[in-house]
Amino acid sequence: MTLRNIPLRQVGPNELPVFQKHVCPPTFSGEAIDPVTPTSHIARNLAVNMDLELRDGTKIPMWILEDPEDLVGGQVFPSKTIRTVEGDIVHARVGAKLNTHTIHWHGIEPTSMNDGVGKHSFEISGNFVYQFATNQAGTFLYHCHKNTALHFEMGLYGAFIVCPKKPDTMEARDVPDAPYPPGGPGYVKAFNPPTHCVKYDVEALWVPDDIDTRWHQLGHDASMPKCNPDNPAAAENFTKDGILNDFRPDVFVLSGEAKRMDDNTLFEKAAIKCKVGQTVLLRFISATYTINEIRIGLPIQFIAQDGYPLGVPPRGQYSHPVDRAAGEPIRITAAMRGDCLIRPTMAGRFPCTVDYFHWITGKKLYTAKTFIEVE
Amino acid sequence: MKIDRRRFIRYAILGTAGAAAAGLGVKGMVDMLAPDKAAQGPSDKRTPLKARPAASVPPARTTYRFAITEALVEMVDHTPVYHWAFEDLDDPRGMPRMPGPLISGITGNDINLSITNTLPDVHGFIIPGIAGTPGNGIQIEPGRTQTMSFPAPEAGSYMYFDPFNAPVNRVLGLHGPMVVLPASGNTPYSDPTPTVQKLFDDLGTAAHFPGEPWIPEHSRIWLFHSIDPRFNAMAERGEKIDATRFTDEFLPRYFTINGESGAYASHNHNTVPHGRIGQPHLIRIMNTGMNADSPHIHGNHVYLLAKRLPSGVLHVQENVVLVDTFTDEVSQCMDWLLPFIRPPDIPGDENIPLRRLIPTELSLTLGGVGQSPLAYPMHGHNEQSQSAAGGNYPQGMVTGWEITGDVDGVDFPRSNPEEKGGPPEMH
Repeated sequence: MTLRNIPLRQVGPNELPVFQKHVCPPTFSGEAIDPVTPTSHIARNLAVNMDLELRDGTKIPMWILEDPEDLVGGQVFPSKTIRTVEGDIVHARVGAKLNTHTIHWHGIEPTSMNDGVGKHSFEISGNFVYQFATNQAGTFLYHCHKNTALHFEMGLYGAFIVCPKKPDTMEARDVPDAPYPPGGPGYVKAFNPPTHCVKYDVEALWVPDDIDTRWHQLGHDASMPKCNPDNPAAAENFTKDGILNDFRPDVFVLSGEAKRMDDNTLFEKAAIKCKVGQTVLLRFISATYTINEIRIGLPIQFIAQDGYPLGVPPRGQYSHPVDRAAGEPIRITAAMRGDCLIRPTMAGRFPCTVDYFHWITGKKLYTAKTFIEVE
Repeated sequence: MKIDRRRFIRYAILGTAGAAAAGLGVKGMVDMLAPDKAAQGPSDKRTPLKARPAASVPPARTTYRFAITEALVEMVDHTPVYHWAFEDLDDPRGMPRMPGPLISGITGNDINLSITNTLPDVHGFIIPGIAGTPGNGIQIEPGRTQTMSFPAPEAGSYMYFDPFNAPVNRVLGLHGPMVVLPASGNTPYSDPTPTVQKLFDDLGTAAHFPGEPWIPEHSRIWLFHSIDPRFNAMAERGEKIDATRFTDEFLPRYFTINGESGAYASHNHNTVPHGRIGQPHLIRIMNTGMNADSPHIHGNHVYLLAKRLPSGVLHVQENVVLVDTFTDEVSQCMDWLLPFIRPPDIPGDENIPLRRLIPTELSLTLGGVGQSPLAYPMHGHNEQSQSAAGGNYPQGMVTGWEITGDVDGVDFPRSNPEEKGGPPEMH
């Protein structure tokens, strides 16, 4: 039997620009396009080099996004959390350093040029002001969308929290105005007619991540294809020796605290401290390339997914919040988010875990252990 | 307006353009290749599509004759990779396909399937989720033909594949999609949950879903797959492949959607949904590969409608969540409703059409490509899947969707309608 070929389809002359832009986006800079008067300003520069230190003193090279207007806490890993208010119109001034970059405001849905994906718009050379509204209160993230396999892994991401406005109630008197301070107190959007806001006393943010330290020796443009405008689909454009399909994590991270595979000590930074009778809001964001299962040692109410509150009309009316028993696994993968409420009724220390499973074999690679301490 | 259910699905293919057909035969090909409402040029008139799909349209095709054969499939970097593949013997071009041809039907109508094994080893065929022979699977000896006839089952998304030496034969190319539409109703399901029914009732009628209801033509299949050519080379050499070793050592080097990667998958209108605001689309995601992924869509959150587990059990969702990213497990089918609402975080008066609110953006040309229509990606956020041949971002499992106009039926101005590319048959 003759072995037949199933060829790639022919790329017509009219497709050359989109094929070229797909792998080699143009650069662009400047002020907001089709500008609207903003109510909120953000500034971020990327990339900034920093080291992530393990307990044995080993330093892992990371890249982060910095807040250039915060000289005290502007350079952290994960990159500094952004907090805006529901309904804000945001102007985000982004500076590309060391290379061209973009920022994608993950889960926030503006126009293409403000979505931060090079192949559908551009990469920033110099500075650009992204413009978008934050019309949905919830848990989002932001990250670089260039050579994303590598840039997301290297740490070019952070949480993006959109806070609902404070309701006009007696209960809200002692809560500062939105955006609420990190750690609480504040209000979160959740099914709760008529305001669809719920007050929390303590806010926690868990961000599991995993690191393949081999990848952290690579350069910004590692394994990128060559730009060839005359023949953007040509075989010779492709690099052949990359490892960006081969993710073998050897360091595991929870909310910026990193441990080697053989280090079973507790993740203290992620530990939640609260009191009986308080309401805890736990937000989680997966920044892994593995599969995570989160187990929380207390019953939870799952109130929002990917930034959208369950059950809240109009667009959320087809869903509803879900009660989960203590220890019931929540399975998530890269860039998924969830919000849950925890209302402890007794004092004690309640263990919590995050498992990391291999993305192909499904085998468990690591369990990160932390806890909720209730007084 | 009568809706023709023969035109309900698009499914990208490899090989020469015009080969789509999606298993609907020659007549079906002609129907399928006609541009739908969204693909037509700018118009000033809105075409309301309020009618429910007709209940009793006969399917275009009831008989499928497949061969199990072999082929060299050209990867995105032009590397030929040996595969086992299904071939539709009634396809006039006589080419195998990877993934296999679409099987489609309407619940209750007959499907007659014959499969000839032209390879030297025993192969099999199964469609999990269907009672009786299709769901139990059959064995086909070398050189033999097996047949099965069954009524098209409960509506939904299905995968067929060769279950022998699992997962080896499936992953080396012997897999494909099957889609069944309900005989009646306005959802994709025979027995929708009340919330799924309410969601589809609200499309085009509720204030938060201005525009049109869902119609079956507004559907796409996104079949995700992963390829480790080391094992394909073993198959080409005729070596026996141990399933345990395969599972333990599989390292994908190529990641595909409907058999294409990167720029090819991102600019194939049989894969990329496109339409005006208010033209909701159904996306049927199937994972025949070896890795779980975390598909993320930009521009709109999607409703997670249904999941078919690897066992074949269908779960039409009672709690229909809105997500922008969701775990796609191996051997799972997952249906998304892409509501095609105006991207909700574009600042400005929502009563002003986008063509007037963002005229600068829509008129810009960047990198030789016009910013109209508004284009958004869908990609795996387990970003390894965005690689090809070890890197070359983003030439892996990526595609997208395009908004071509406002909800009032007026398309955005296009700076250069020819430059967006795509398979010639769509243009």
